Amino acid sequence: MSTDRVAFVNLPLRIRDYEDELVDAFRKVLRSGAYIMGPEVAEFENALKGYCGVDHVLGVANGTDGLIIALRALNIGAGDEVITAPNSFIASAGAIQMTGAEVRFADVGPDYNLDPAKLEAAITERTKAIMPVHLTGRPAPMDEINEIAKRHGLYVIEDAAQAIGAKYKGRPVGSLGDIASFSLHPLKNLQVFGDAGFLSTPCKHLYERMSGLRNHGLVDRNTSSEWGLNSRLDTIQAALGLVQLKRLDAWTEGFRSVAAQYREGLKDVVSVPEELNHEYSVYHNFVVLADRRDELMQYLDNKGIDTKIHYPILLHRQPAAKHLKLPEGSFPVAEDQVQRMVSLPIYPELEDSEIKRVIAEIRNFYSA
Amino acid sequence: MANQNFLPDQYDRTDALEINHNYLPEQFADYEEILAKVGEVVRKGDFTLGRAVDQFERDFAEVVGVKHAIGVGSGTDALFLSLKALGIGEGDEVITTPFTFYATIGAIVTAGARPVFVDVLDDFNINPDNIEAAITPKTKAILPVHWSGKPCRMDDILAIANKHGLKVVEDSCHGIQAKYKGKGAGSFGDFGAFSMHPLKNLNVWGDGGLAVTNSDEMAEKMRLMRNHGLIDRNRCAMFAYNSRLDTIQAVVASHLLQKIDHITESRIVNSLYFDSQLAGVSGITIPERDTDEVKQVFHIYSLRYERRDELQAYLEERGVDAKVHYPIPMHLQPGAAEWGYKPGDFPVAEACCATTMSLPVHEFVNRDQQDKVIELIKEFYR
Repeated sequence: MSTDRVAFVNLPLRIRDYEDELVDAFRKVLRSGAYIMGPEVAEFENALKGYCGVDHVLGVANGTDGLIIALRALNIGAGDEVITAPNSFIASAGAIQMTGAEVRFADVGPDYNLDPAKLEAAITERTKAIMPVHLTGRPAPMDEINEIAKRHGLYVIEDAAQAIGAKYKGRPVGSLGDIASFSLHPLKNLQVFGDAGFLSTPCKHLYERMSGLRNHGLVDRNTSSEWGLNSRLDTIQAALGLVQLKRLDAWTEGFRSVAAQYREGLKDVVSVPEELNHEYSVYHNFVVLADRRDELMQYLDNKGIDTKIHYPILLHRQPAAKHLKLPEGSFPVAEDQVQRMVSLPIYPELEDSEIKRVIAEIRNFYSA
Repeated sequence: MANQNFLPDQYDRTDALEINHNYLPEQFADYEEILAKVGEVVRKGDFTLGRAVDQFERDFAEVVGVKHAIGVGSGTDALFLSLKALGIGEGDEVITTPFTFYATIGAIVTAGARPVFVDVLDDFNINPDNIEAAITPKTKAILPVHWSGKPCRMDDILAIANKHGLKVVEDSCHGIQAKYKGKGAGSFGDFGAFSMHPLKNLNVWGDGGLAVTNSDEMAEKMRLMRNHGLIDRNRCAMFAYNSRLDTIQAVVASHLLQKIDHITESRIVNSLYFDSQLAGVSGITIPERDTDEVKQVFHIYSLRYERRDELQAYLEERGVDAKVHYPIPMHLQPGAAEWGYKPGDFPVAEACCATTMSLPVHEFVNRDQQDKVIELIKEFYR
């Protein structure tokens, strides 16, 4: 690093050592002229199947579109309700609303994920699906969620935007519901160089329907079976994604290693995320609950350490959610967490000295 | 290229043939200059709505002659985001043409509305004289398509829209630099939608598009709608979409925008040369060009041909990549079944689908190639 600051993210640093490989992949697509649905798209989709533990993967334009396409493929729209977590990124609720359905929230647990104990109270006769978010890259309690979904005849859509590589009871996220949507946004653990995403499903029928929906509903060159979207993963991004994917396992180890150091170094001063025996988290964010959070963030900023809050305004308190009329107090656990949460810098390229500095400064703050 | 994803015919590059629709390898024979600029974006980490997007939007708005251009994920997204921004959705009807690409209809349906079709004229564009008969109390907008880069009769369409209080969204995906009575296609309606798909006249290295408008309010709404409704990093004014033009694609677009005059001019020159040489050949109908009123940019160069399928096969066998855009009108697609249309409802559109064929006219087609095509067509009809 050229400066002393511990940056929150640093993608240019990540790709520095293999820039040539990326550029070669880029050039190869440019020479081919196959910029839309070129062979690299299917190649990338195939390569991702192992990470999702399913037979069907489908590249799309971004993770939000992935959720919208998943909902549409399940015939969810006007008049329906979908339950998700109130502490997610806006896209989780946005995708539901954009299909014409109404978002419903249920409170979360200490793992920041949907709390199964709170889920049933949110189910109405209009509920069609549950959309657990594997927030921060930690898998949601899927056995309990799936059990409730099954009992009420609901679909389960995993919002796995932050969670590629995460596992639950040995099974990868992406294989734990009817459909899962992943993001490849530049700031994700596995990223490309613009907007992109993909869907995974164990169901061939849903895969075929979603293949149509992402590409004008085309079932052959001149026939559209249903009116769809244009939401294709660019060939160039797929080719770059293939280069990135080779490094994902090493990166995941890197994220987990930083997390382990933070956990060990901070467990007695802030509330650090647990990792239960059956969980394998990928730490897209490392979120701790801290007393005097705002002061701490200011202190760290003064010490040259970037931190963020994911996310400071809960979805039900957004201006966009006014019509839902959900007052403060609707989701006490999420509302308590949001007052205290802070995300620490986490990426594989963080140096041990930087990790130690973050830990030391947080400890300094609380010992002062 | 293996085309497992059922893209329209146009996309297949048939290397065995001499005269192709797909000219991308020629167009980007020298991509290093662009790649170097892409590298700068990557090294800055400026991937999402970066500086290159802002700059390109301003330059593009100037080319069209509008106040605002907003980069989005594709031309399809530009269309449906425009409809949504105008408040069109569930229960509403949008009047459009059955002679178009699927995306026009997909955008209307994605917005939650239903398309109502009106037949076209011999120039493949919606017939303004038939629009009023299709208006119902549910009609909220007219969505004319400037097919092949020929602008629709916008004066007539705007007059009808004004009279009935309807919005107008122009599908200008083929229409970059097209003009109607001196004004840019896309600049007439509440919104204009443009595509930068790799085979459009102005193209990028993947999917990309723009929505344009003269309304400050609509521009602001579009900017929100393409980016999760975010007014700042953390506050969401309205639930919305993610449909952003990638910064690296904006770099490509900016590069090509410098060449758009040449691209457009080449297409016009090549098209008018075909016109001049094929005029009078028995079996061929050339649409009205209306050159006094319009500047047609020939994204597609389509004439109507008797024994079209035979001619297409004849040309293909002889190395000419002739295409059909498109053989089935939208009202007869399986997806339209629920609306109850039947063959014969739109006779002109149906006749166009049965007879239209497109020849390559891009900037890499040379006069010798054109003469060869002309000779083959004349030979076929002799």
